[in-house]
Amino acid sequence: MKFLKQYYHAFLREFRLVTGDMGILIFLFLLPIAYPIVYSLIYNPELVRDVQLVVVDNDRSPLSRELVRRLDATQGTWVIGYAANLQEAKHAVHQHDAYGILEIPAGFGNRPGENKQAQAVLYCEMSLMLRYKSLLVSSTDVMQDLGATITTERIDRIAPLAETIATGDLMPVENIQMGNIEGGFDSFIMPGILILILQQALLLGIGMSGGALREHPLKASFNPLGKERPSVLAGMLGQTTVFIILMIVPAIYVMHYVPLMFKFPMAGNVLEEFIFILPMILSTVGLGFILQGIVRERESIFVIWVVTSVVFLFLSGLTWPRYAFPGIWRFFSDCVPATWGVEGFIRMNTNGASLAQVHHAYVNLWIQAGVYFVLGYIVQRFVQRPAVIAAAKASETETA
Amino acid sequence: MMRQSGFWIIFKRSVLQLVRRPIYWVGIFVLPLFCFLLLSSLMLDGLPIQAPAAIVDNDGTSLSRNVSLQLAGMQMVDITETPHSYTEARHLMQEGKIFGYFLIPENFEADLLSGRGPVITFYTNMTYYVPASLLYKTFKTTALYTKAGVAAEVANSVGFTQDPTALLQPVNIITRPIGNPSLNYGIYLCVSFIPCVLQLMIILVTCFSLGQEIKYGSSTRLMKLADGNIFRALGAKLLPQTLIWWLMAIFMESWLFGWQGYPMRGSWWWITLSELMFVLASQGFALLIFGALPNLRLSLSVGALTGILSFSIAAFSFPEQSMYGAIAIFSYIVPTRYNFLIYIDQALNGIDIWYSRWWYVAYIIFMVAPLPFLPRLRKALMKPEYVP
Repeated sequence: MKFLKQYYHAFLREFRLVTGDMGILIFLFLLPIAYPIVYSLIYNPELVRDVQLVVVDNDRSPLSRELVRRLDATQGTWVIGYAANLQEAKHAVHQHDAYGILEIPAGFGNRPGENKQAQAVLYCEMSLMLRYKSLLVSSTDVMQDLGATITTERIDRIAPLAETIATGDLMPVENIQMGNIEGGFDSFIMPGILILILQQALLLGIGMSGGALREHPLKASFNPLGKERPSVLAGMLGQTTVFIILMIVPAIYVMHYVPLMFKFPMAGNVLEEFIFILPMILSTVGLGFILQGIVRERESIFVIWVVTSVVFLFLSGLTWPRYAFPGIWRFFSDCVPATWGVEGFIRMNTNGASLAQVHHAYVNLWIQAGVYFVLGYIVQRFVQRPAVIAAAKASETETA
Repeated sequence: MMRQSGFWIIFKRSVLQLVRRPIYWVGIFVLPLFCFLLLSSLMLDGLPIQAPAAIVDNDGTSLSRNVSLQLAGMQMVDITETPHSYTEARHLMQEGKIFGYFLIPENFEADLLSGRGPVITFYTNMTYYVPASLLYKTFKTTALYTKAGVAAEVANSVGFTQDPTALLQPVNIITRPIGNPSLNYGIYLCVSFIPCVLQLMIILVTCFSLGQEIKYGSSTRLMKLADGNIFRALGAKLLPQTLIWWLMAIFMESWLFGWQGYPMRGSWWWITLSELMFVLASQGFALLIFGALPNLRLSLSVGALTGILSFSIAAFSFPEQSMYGAIAIFSYIVPTRYNFLIYIDQALNGIDIWYSRWWYVAYIIFMVAPLPFLPRLRKALMKPEYVP
């Protein structure tokens, strides 16, 4: 009974502290509301289309013109023009007017007729992977397409009997993109970033509230000057309840409405996704209790925690897959709530997995939640609480 | 004489401030160095080889087994599972055990040899871009090899005796990735992301250190020591940081282009100049923010926002030409963008400095950008007011 009372008391005081602090509210609400929109807008065009290409055609034959025409017609490439020679083409690339050069050697158009392969060279400027990929896909498609046309014509001439080849593709090869079926960049990166934003918003908010307490110890969830020292656990549970309640709206917005607004793939069961995210929120709160141990003032959290968003993005395995991590980084990655949150959410939301199919991530999140709460208890009990009490005493002597 | 001593008193004072508070050690050294180490060691291999994948062989003939063997021998894939059906494979993908699978249909061999055109389909999980792209490439190559082998046999059987390459692939476009022939991913991510981390930390530390003066009211003393001269106050206050950041920037440069061996085809001098100016530009950018919002928390919020958004808006992965026009222009208002452009021109491509002349000018613009806000900043420092 006493415990429940302390819990309720802690809950109320923490609620008052958080809702009365503009900085914390910005972290908990404005950040998860604004960031996903800004991010999604940056990447919303999804695909890299029409990468500028300049052509050096030393052949000027019907075949070379056909090749250039077909390249220009692909989604990924835009032929901005012909250059007289390689020097001129290079100038265009150096000026960032073009990102690739197609060089067609003299005699290109005659080679198929001589039973030889006609070869052209595509030089790619390599500052961005996506541009290169776009040019590569275009050129591969055109190469196969144009090749098939020529082969069919020729086989028909050599051996009209070989109808299997002449009448169509001998063995069609198809690629089907799963999950993110259009292969868009926004739909790839954003679902992961959304979960990271949730984690970081919460950690920044909790970290700042920890700093705020050391500056204004009297706002703590217990009376730091009082004789009676209520249980640390009750205080933590009260604070946890506050953060869970405050995260409900941001989580629904981030996990459901943002994908809806920007038309990301949404194949998962919404209810299961929220059941899944609960342990991530809990383990993040636990991590926040640990973080509070090193935040001495409200604003420190910016300097020590903002950059971790980049760290966690990489550790989540979104850009660089986890199976290729060196062992030590895989261990670090295992310890981050968002790693499992991102993994599970992407699988459910984008690949349509059920909660049972992501049980590995789900169980890991619960384990993390347990471990971080125990560690968080230690930090709260032996670092944060003494610090708050010391700060309260210091301010008391100051005012006195 | 008096004037000079004022400068040095502030200088010493700010050195002591930096040394005494652990948060500066963390912000200036620990976090950036940790990020350098993380990013470059994570992508040490250049490409994530051995993507877990599966083959669904519904045919089970010698030809289909042959295809499976060929696929398993490719460098980029690791065939970890052999599911018996499409559904099973899809479930494995949803569970995250594989990133793609290759489906050989029933009666594949029979259909192929009798010309019924069986379809080979491969599935790649595009929710993970990099492994999916690598699998795409490997799967496609394997399928095309198989096709070429069969086509060569068919052509042979009808009496075509010449080299089949010219027949089967009459047109070939050879791709030459200039500057990064092995398609090393570390080169892309590290040379852009690591300076961006540095920019973020410069912005945060600059705003934090100035904001502290206002929060604790010590800025009046700072201004007094500087005889009310804002240039002297800011110069002496920030110079120690500039020197440390320069050290970090040079270390970063050596780390990336020296030890990591990322492409460096131009002059070291131009890159060094770029890094040094980059530090000043980032500090200028931070001063601009702090001058406009001389408040600890607000300036840090805006600094954190722009610093973090820089990773996306500076177009390191998604090109600015593909962004919406109204958004793409923001790509040019962060210093790290110019660091990236100079790297592309001077290190990756090693072209004439003439092509990069504007990027250096942009750095200078960032350095002078805070000037209009200095009177406002002076007022705020003279009459500090802490707004939580």
